[in-house]
Amino acid sequence: MTLKEATPNRVLVADDDPVMRHLITTILKQQNCETVVVNDGRAAYRILMSDSQFSAAILDMTMPFLEGLDLVRYMRSENRLRRIPIMMITADLDIKLMASSFSAGATAFLSKPFTPEQLQSAIRMLLGNRKTIRRAA
Amino acid sequence: MPLDQVSNNESAEEQSLVPQLTASAAVDMKVLKAFEALQADDGSDLIVELIELYLQDAPGRLKEIKEAAVANDWVPLKRAAHNLKGSSSNLGVRQVADICEKLEEAVSPESFEKVEALVQLLEYKFDKARQALAIERQRRLG
Repeated sequence: MTLKEATPNRVLVADDDPVMRHLITTILKQQNCETVVVNDGRAAYRILMSDSQFSAAILDMTMPFLEGLDLVRYMRSENRLRRIPIMMITADLDIKLMASSFSAGATAFLSKPFTPEQLQSAIRMLLGNRKTIRRAA
Repeated sequence: MPLDQVSNNESAEEQSLVPQLTASAAVDMKVLKAFEALQADDGSDLIVELIELYLQDAPGRLKEIKEAAVANDWVPLKRAAHNLKGSSSNLGVRQVADICEKLEEAVSPESFEKVEALVQLLEYKFDKARQALAIERQRRLG
């Protein structure tokens, strides 16, 4: 077993809101996940260009330099990133935005405001989704 | 409209611009305290950390909003209002979030005066929220 296989839940978090980054990483750490955290879309893109060892990605919809939706499209266009479950986070419950996210290939969608329980549950489902994808593969 | 007029005539301002705003407190502490569920056992206080992060980040967003409004630069104004709305709503800073939503909807060259008044109201409400959060932070730190 390689070191990477021994730490299966490694999650990319991209959000320009420090409050949101702190909340998400707090929950991920409680679930024994390793986190790679960036505060804009371009930084996330640069990481994803060379690193595909992620169990999941949690992306803010609206970020500087590169939007979350563009990152989803990029990830779904790359074979090595295609299976990574993605949760989009947005400040709006916008049906069109939600439809665009799923159409681009997002796995889950969470709109603010949300309770801690909703965020915990969404993250658990996202990581569970990865296991489902692995079993199906 | 000068800020003192917004402050002194808050009810009329709210009725005309943001009718859905209520007389509730600047911060809904129930929303904030719900994050106690995520509290770690290491002695840290997640709510204090969230308050500190918000109070470090939000003034910059507010500055972006004000500068963009003065410059009639609607795209960055809308983006900054959208971002401030997200973090504010999640921490129970509802009045600030509500005004940000109104700003997002209002931004257009035709609605300059409305945007200007909303920005002033936003500053006033943010200041109230900042005070409430600072008091809660201090209370939690003992």
